[in-house]
Amino acid sequence: MTPQRITAGYLPGLGEDEVLWHSLSFAQGDRRLEVSVPVLSAAQMQALAQRVRTAAEQHLRPMPVAEIIDAIDRAIARLLDRDDSFRREAEAWLPVVSGYDADMVRLGMTGFFKTFRAAQLRRFVAEDFANPGVLDCFQPAPKGGAARAFGPDLLVHSWAGNVPALSLWSLVCGLLVKAPSIGKLASAEPLFAGWFARLLAEVHPPLADCLAVVWWSGAGGDSGLGAAGAAALYAQADTVLAYGGNASLDALRRRLPVTTRFLPHGHKLGFGLVGMQALDALKAPAVARLAAWDVMRYDQQGCYSPHVFYVERGAPVSPRAFADYLAAELANLQRRFARRPLELEEGAAVAKWQQSVEWRAPADGGEDVLIGPADAPWSVAYSDSLQPLAPTALYRTIAVVGVDTLDAVVPLVAAQREFLQTAGIAAAPETLYRLAGLLGAAGVTRISAMGSMSMPEAGWHHDGRFNLLDLVRMTEIEQSAEIAAQPFAPYAD
Amino acid sequence: MDKAALLVADLLAFIALDACTDEQFDQLALRLFAYQYESNAPFRSFCQRRGATLRNVRTWSDIPAVPIDAFKAMELRSAPASAGERVFMTSGTTGRAARGRHFHPQLAVYDLSMTRNFAQRFMRGDERLSMGILFPDEQAMPNSSLAHYLALAKSAFGTPDSRYYLTPEGLDMPGLCAALEESERSGRPYALLGASFSLVHVMDGLRAHNRSFRLPAGSRILDTGGYKGQSRELPLEDFYADLSQLLGVPRSHCINMYGMTELSTQFYDEGNATLPSVKSGPHWIRSRLVEPVTGRSVAPGERGILVHCDLANYNAVTTILTEDVGLWAEGGFLLLGRAEGAAAKGCSLAVEEFVKAAAA
Repeated sequence: MTPQRITAGYLPGLGEDEVLWHSLSFAQGDRRLEVSVPVLSAAQMQALAQRVRTAAEQHLRPMPVAEIIDAIDRAIARLLDRDDSFRREAEAWLPVVSGYDADMVRLGMTGFFKTFRAAQLRRFVAEDFANPGVLDCFQPAPKGGAARAFGPDLLVHSWAGNVPALSLWSLVCGLLVKAPSIGKLASAEPLFAGWFARLLAEVHPPLADCLAVVWWSGAGGDSGLGAAGAAALYAQADTVLAYGGNASLDALRRRLPVTTRFLPHGHKLGFGLVGMQALDALKAPAVARLAAWDVMRYDQQGCYSPHVFYVERGAPVSPRAFADYLAAELANLQRRFARRPLELEEGAAVAKWQQSVEWRAPADGGEDVLIGPADAPWSVAYSDSLQPLAPTALYRTIAVVGVDTLDAVVPLVAAQREFLQTAGIAAAPETLYRLAGLLGAAGVTRISAMGSMSMPEAGWHHDGRFNLLDLVRMTEIEQSAEIAAQPFAPYAD
Repeated sequence: MDKAALLVADLLAFIALDACTDEQFDQLALRLFAYQYESNAPFRSFCQRRGATLRNVRTWSDIPAVPIDAFKAMELRSAPASAGERVFMTSGTTGRAARGRHFHPQLAVYDLSMTRNFAQRFMRGDERLSMGILFPDEQAMPNSSLAHYLALAKSAFGTPDSRYYLTPEGLDMPGLCAALEESERSGRPYALLGASFSLVHVMDGLRAHNRSFRLPAGSRILDTGGYKGQSRELPLEDFYADLSQLLGVPRSHCINMYGMTELSTQFYDEGNATLPSVKSGPHWIRSRLVEPVTGRSVAPGERGILVHCDLANYNAVTTILTEDVGLWAEGGFLLLGRAEGAAAKGCSLAVEEFVKAAAA
């Protein structure tokens, strides 16, 4: 079967025959896909940066935020329409590049896109700006004078990972603050960002040149294909939003001028807490079911995905029994949304993790076990003794740890402060607030319900930062200037 | 004679054979399995969890493969600890991780396994060669299986002028150059043996002094173990091209040994003229390529994780699951590196990055 070919990226002002193309190959079962990604020279990258800057100056900056929201909303409406050609492409090919179950991708996209409708976008802006008008013009400041927010002069995105359509987050952030944007595709998911740029140009043609999507090899792009283009772009950017492992983020930061604003989002380590109140015969199976969804979604590849569930002892349903419920739910979900086939190296990592659990067992005595058949496409490791917060092998491998009190977990997670982000909690309101205070102090930035860990709500603060505020700089007209201007008015007495 | 001594005697006789049939291999493998199952409690409980018993293990490939991490987690031994035993340990390159330990109550089996195989695959009919060893000696590294291996190579196959060129003060380049010059002058073939990274240091040293040699025909080089972060990382193609060019030894005589602390037998290739080279072992070791999660053999033509059943591993466990990726090839297997780089594809933290961060 000859593979399908898709030309990825988005290059306003550049013809397809003017740039070099690199081919990335993907295969799932009998479906094969070749994705051509653009590799730009330094001169081409400079010209591209100039073009998006100029276009944004003309078309994006003068656009009121309300109209930008309206344009994004129309694009998102099309992505939610299962008959739309862009949506059909996404449903057809994102499962092939990512390897995820097609139904999982379909449900995930719908759930994700619907958090970008107009109402949600307005909420998103309101989260960061008490008066969203500051993005359009000078607004009176409570202290006196006036203030206006300006987005970056050139925003560069470096996407990573294979969670489908993840680039939408930063692209929307850039648009809302009216920034000309150039994004670098992740080799593991090189499709969505280019499609979104094209779709946006369709629904609102003046935006066609305000956005570009390119590729180079590796995260830092300091050597290899497209390195010259990458260097040219990084030299021009005034703000860089980057996703990836800490090592590649560090390498990227080192090559940026000190004046460039760098907004890194590293890999994270999610976990869940299940309190006694949630562990009676009626509630526990339901909580386990929700927890299993968080493990299943994108096979644990999200920054918010759980690795460990700490479960409190002393309730009618023991932590060990909760682990069994969780295992049963993972087995059920496997029938609906099969885990993607693992490559040899990934399989080896899963086996290594399983074996480490197996070898720990006799030393600990007790009930420590690996639940489920060793070759099942999921596995639950139960431990009756306190275990540190540590990553599992992903791909639906999850640890359940029995604890005397949930408070005992706090020092364990605090030890991994730099990797904390999402914690799922199933507990009564008072416990929720008390734990939230402790976890927040420990470094957790997002607390959600079980089942919602992998579905952040609209307007969430990614890694505890202000998604939009972090991108802008404020220009203030101080009161003194206002007052001093008065005598110069033509109508001055 | 007790059971262990009887086994050792039979094992030594088996290694001394020129070849064996499948039945002979199975017979000894199953005897060793029974012995280890009975006398090695952690191994027995491992087998029980895998559903493997003395009754249903019928051929060597049924023996559950013990992951090499287990050598770190517990004492895998059949004979109790004794005063004269030797303990070989893995180098423990991964930060805080414990080191794997392999207990040898005596080295008779290890030594016979090494010498029989080495004579055939490296010496290739020569009785003795003048050797230069690029590794610390056994006094400096008593727990290194490689130090013992090289010491044995030197004592069993080296001429009296053979010596170590890696001293506590570092690499003795002047001494090594003198030996290489002497070989060039006399026309007596020379053998240089050591860790791959030490050979990189030698090449760097030669380049720094603008030196190169044309060693006489029959000279050869043995490297092993990779770079382990102890030298610059050199692609294999460059490594052998440079070795051959700087020392004048054809690539067919640059032999790579693939060995592991957890084993008692080594694999060799027939030189590295073409890469990757085909590795193979003697009749007392057999390998499988498996799919890591299920442990099932992979289909022909597919990559798999290497499992070795080494009959010379009589005290620990015969069958181990490595972390090395292999592919079957004519006459043996290709070694395609370690099964790592399973870095996160998404934004969730992977074990690899976590371990690195913890070690930093």
